[in-house]
Amino acid sequence: MTKLIIRRLIWTIPVILLVIFMTFILMRQIAGNPFRTSERAIPVEIQRNLERKFGLDKPWYEQYWQYVQNVATFDLGPSLVLRNRDVNDIVKEHFKVSLELGALSFLFAFFFGVLIGALSGLRANSWVDYTAMFVSNVGYALPSFLVATLLIYFFALQWDVGLPTSGWDTWQSKILPVIALGLAPMAAFARLVRGTMLETLQQDYIRTARAKGLRWRRVVGLHVLRNSMIPVITAAGPTLGFLITGSFVIEQIFAIPGIGRYYVTAVTARDYSVVMGLTVLLAIIVILANMVVDILYGFLDPRTRDART
Amino acid sequence: MIIDPREAPTPTIAGDVVSPDGTGSAGAPLRQSNLWRDAWRRYIRNRAALAAGVVFILMLLFVIVWPIISPYDPNEIDFSARSQPPSLEHPFGTDTFGRDLMTRAAVGGRVSIGIGFAATIAILLIGVTYGSISGFVGGRLDNGMMRVLDALYGLPYLPFAIIVTQIFGNVTFWTMVVALSIVSWFTTARIVRGQVITLKENDYIRAARAVGARWHRVLGRHVLPNTLGVLIIAIFLELPGVILGEAILSFIGLGISPPDASWGQMANEGRAAYRTSPHIIAVPSIMIATLILSANFIADGLRDALDPRTRET
Repeated sequence: MTKLIIRRLIWTIPVILLVIFMTFILMRQIAGNPFRTSERAIPVEIQRNLERKFGLDKPWYEQYWQYVQNVATFDLGPSLVLRNRDVNDIVKEHFKVSLELGALSFLFAFFFGVLIGALSGLRANSWVDYTAMFVSNVGYALPSFLVATLLIYFFALQWDVGLPTSGWDTWQSKILPVIALGLAPMAAFARLVRGTMLETLQQDYIRTARAKGLRWRRVVGLHVLRNSMIPVITAAGPTLGFLITGSFVIEQIFAIPGIGRYYVTAVTARDYSVVMGLTVLLAIIVILANMVVDILYGFLDPRTRDART
Repeated sequence: MIIDPREAPTPTIAGDVVSPDGTGSAGAPLRQSNLWRDAWRRYIRNRAALAAGVVFILMLLFVIVWPIISPYDPNEIDFSARSQPPSLEHPFGTDTFGRDLMTRAAVGGRVSIGIGFAATIAILLIGVTYGSISGFVGGRLDNGMMRVLDALYGLPYLPFAIIVTQIFGNVTFWTMVVALSIVSWFTTARIVRGQVITLKENDYIRAARAVGARWHRVLGRHVLPNTLGVLIIAIFLELPGVILGEAILSFIGLGISPPDASWGQMANEGRAAYRTSPHIIAVPSIMIATLILSANFIADGLRDALDPRTRET
C-alpha cells in the first residue's frame, strides 16, 4: 500500500510538468509578448529592460523552467492588468469560496446520489425505481444554467421562501448554488450506483451471505453497498475536479466571488498571466483529486494495487 | 446474469424455408440476418430509445426546415413585440428585441447541433487515430501513449477550451469546433484502444496475420470495421458533452458572438430578463435539455443493441 502511494505521488510530478507545459505553450500562442503589442509607443531600450526584467528575452524553455520553479514555490506570477496585485492574492481571496462551493456540492451529490441509486437498485422496476431514474435522467441532461434559473425563479421569486439568490455569506445563500451545481453529478452517481448495485446483487457472495443467515440489512450494508462503491469512487475523482473547477456558470449566475467567475473576468480583460496561473492551479487540483481517488481505489479493491500506478 | 427476453429468440434462421435435404428450396427468398439487422431489431424494441430517436430526428428536421418556412426573420428586431410570452402568433414567444424565438431557436439549433456534430466527428477522427495506433502497435509505444492520455485527463475541460478559443482571436463556429474537440477526444481514444486490443486477440486477426496480410490490411480490413459499433455509440456519448460545452461557453459570454444565435448564446441573452420573461431563457435551455436527453437514451439503446455483452442489467 505504501508502495502504491509513493509510486502514485512520483507519477504525479511528470503529469503536472506536462500539464504546465501544455498550458505554457497554449498561452504563448495567445499572449505573444505583452510589451510589444502595447498600443503605447515604448522606446526600444525600455522595452528591452522590461523584457529582461520579466525574463522574456530568454528562450522559451528557460522561461518554462522558470515558471515551473515559480509554481513549485507557490508563486503564480503577477497580474498584467491589476498592477499592484499578483495571482497569489487572487487565489487567496477567491479560491476558498470555490473550494467550499465545490466541496458542498460534492457532498450533496454524493449523499443523495448514493441514497437514490441504492434505493432504486434495491427496489428495481418498482415505481420508486422508475421515478428515481426518470429524475436522474432528466437531471443529468439539464444544463446547469437552466437548473440555477429554475431554482431562482421558483424558490426565490414565485414562492418566496426567503433564500437569497446572490452572494456567498450566510448559509441560506449557499443552498441554491449547491443544489444547482450538484444536481447533475447527483444524477450521475444515482445512475452509477443503481447499475453496479444490480450487478452486485447477482453475485455469488451475496447469495452466500444470505444463505448463512445474515440479516438483509447487514448484507446490504456490509457487502452490497461496499462493493457498489468502487465504480462510484472512480467517478468521484473527475467529478470532484469538475465541481471545484467547473463552477464557472453557477458562480456567474449567483454572483459568487469564486475563482470561476474571476477566470471569466480575466479572460475578458485579457489578463493572461492570471488566466495561466489559475489554469495551472485548477489542473493541479484535478490531478491531485485523481491521485487521491487512485489511492482510495487501492484501499477498496486490493486487486488494483499492483496493476495501477 | 439475466437473460434478456429481447435476446432469447434467435430470429436468424427461424423463418427460413429449409427443405429436408438441407439446401434452401429453390426460389424461396432467404431471410438474411446480420449484425446491423439484429441491432436494428433490438433497438426498436427498446421503447425509450425508439422515442428518443424519433425526438432527435424531429429536432433535426425542425432546425433544418423551420428557418426556411418560418414567416419571421431570426434577426429582425421588432420593438412593438418585445418579450411576448408564447402565443399563437409566436409559439415560443419573442425575446427582448421582439425577435421570434421559435425561428431563433431553429437557427441557433443549426449552430449548436452543427458545432456538436462537427466536433464529434473531429473527436472520433483524433480518437480513432490515437487509440488504434496505441492499441495496434502495443508494447512501449502503447504504454507511453496511454501515460500521455492519463496526463491529459488532468486538464480542466472548460479553462482549456477557453484558452484554445482565445488563441484564434474572435470566436467563430470553427473555433468552437476546434476548442471543444481538442479538450474532449481522450475518452474516445481510450475506448477505441480497448476495442482494438480485444480484437487483436481474435482468431481471425491471427489467421490474417498468419497468412501474411500486412499490418495496414489487418488494421483497415479486419480491426477498424469491427470498431464501427463502438464508434456509433461514441457519437451519441460525445455529442451531449460537446453541445453542453458550447452552451456553457456561450452562456458565460465566451462563445459565439452575437448577433449570431446559438442555444447557449440565446440563454445568455435571456438571463438578463429571467425575472419578468422566464420563457426567453427557458426556450433554448429546454431545446438543449431535450437534445441531450434524447442523445443519452439513444446512446443507451445503441449500446444495448450493438454490444449485448456489455448490457447493463
